[in-house]
Amino acid sequence: MIDDELKVTTRQRDGIWIIDLEGDVTTFAEEAITGAYEGVSKDGAKYIIINSRQSDYINSAGIAILIGVVTEVNRQAQKLAISGLSPHFQKIFRMVGLAQYADIFASEEEAIAAMQRHQKAASEPTKP
Amino acid sequence: MSNPQYMAPSGDEERVIELHLPSRLGYEKVAMDTASAMAKRMGFSHDRVDSLRTAVSEAVTNAIEHGNQHDSAMKVVVVFTGSDDGLIVDVADQGRKILDQTITERTPDIHQVLHSDDKGGWGIWLIKELMDEVQFSVAPSGGNKLRMVIHLDR
Repeated sequence: MIDDELKVTTRQRDGIWIIDLEGDVTTFAEEAITGAYEGVSKDGAKYIIINSRQSDYINSAGIAILIGVVTEVNRQAQKLAISGLSPHFQKIFRMVGLAQYADIFASEEEAIAAMQRHQKAASEPTKP
Repeated sequence: MSNPQYMAPSGDEERVIELHLPSRLGYEKVAMDTASAMAKRMGFSHDRVDSLRTAVSEAVTNAIEHGNQHDSAMKVVVVFTGSDDGLIVDVADQGRKILDQTITERTPDIHQVLHSDDKGGWGIWLIKELMDEVQFSVAPSGGNKLRMVIHLDR
C-alpha cells in the first residue's frame, strides 16, 4: 500500500519556534501541522519557522493547510517564515502568493537570521 | 491497449505507458514517479520534471477525489505518450461527478482565500500554470478527461 507519512516535530532556538516537517505535505498532514502550530502558539510563540526537511511532495491540499496556518498567524500577530523548500516548491509558494505573508528561505539558518533581525527590531524602542 | 483513443502511431508503442490506478489517495505518487522517469529519459530539465510531477499529482488527485469520489472500485487511467516534441499526459476518471467547467477558468486569489473558510482550489490553476497545454473534456464513456502537454525545449 502507498501511505502518506509525515513526521512533525517542534523545537525552540533563541526564542524562535521551529516546526519541522519530514515527509509528504498532503491532505493527510492537516491534523499534524495544525496541531503543531496550535501547540507552539499555546506556548507563546511569536516567531515561527515551518522548516521542510526532505519534503519532496507538497500538493495543493498541503498548500491549503499552510494557508490556514498563515490565516491564524495573521490573526495572532505572529511572524512566520518557511525554510528548507526545494527551488521548485519555493517557486510554487511564490506563484500561489504565500511569499506575501511568510518569508521564504532556502535554509533554516537564513530563516533564523531573518527572524532574529525581526526580534531585534521589535525590541528596540520606537523613535519619537 | 484497452482504449483505442490512446493508440500511438505505429512503431511508437514503446513511447506509451498506461497506468490503471485505484481511486485511493497516495496512488497519485505512482503516476508522478512514472512521469518523472519518462521525462528524465526524454531529456527534460530538472525544473521541468518537477513541474510535471506537480501537475500530474494534482490531476490524478482530482480524478480520485472529485471524478471518482474516492470509490475504490473505480480506476483512474493515466496515459503517457512521448514524442519528439514532448510528453502528452491524459488523465481520465470514470465520472461519478462531472467537473464543473467554471472551475477550470478560476484563478484563485490568496487575499480572498485567506478570508475564506475554503483554503483550497489551487490544483487546476497550478496545472495550467505549470504545463504548456491543458485541455478538459468529457470522454465518450462519460468520465472526465484532462490532457496536458509539456514541450521539450529545443
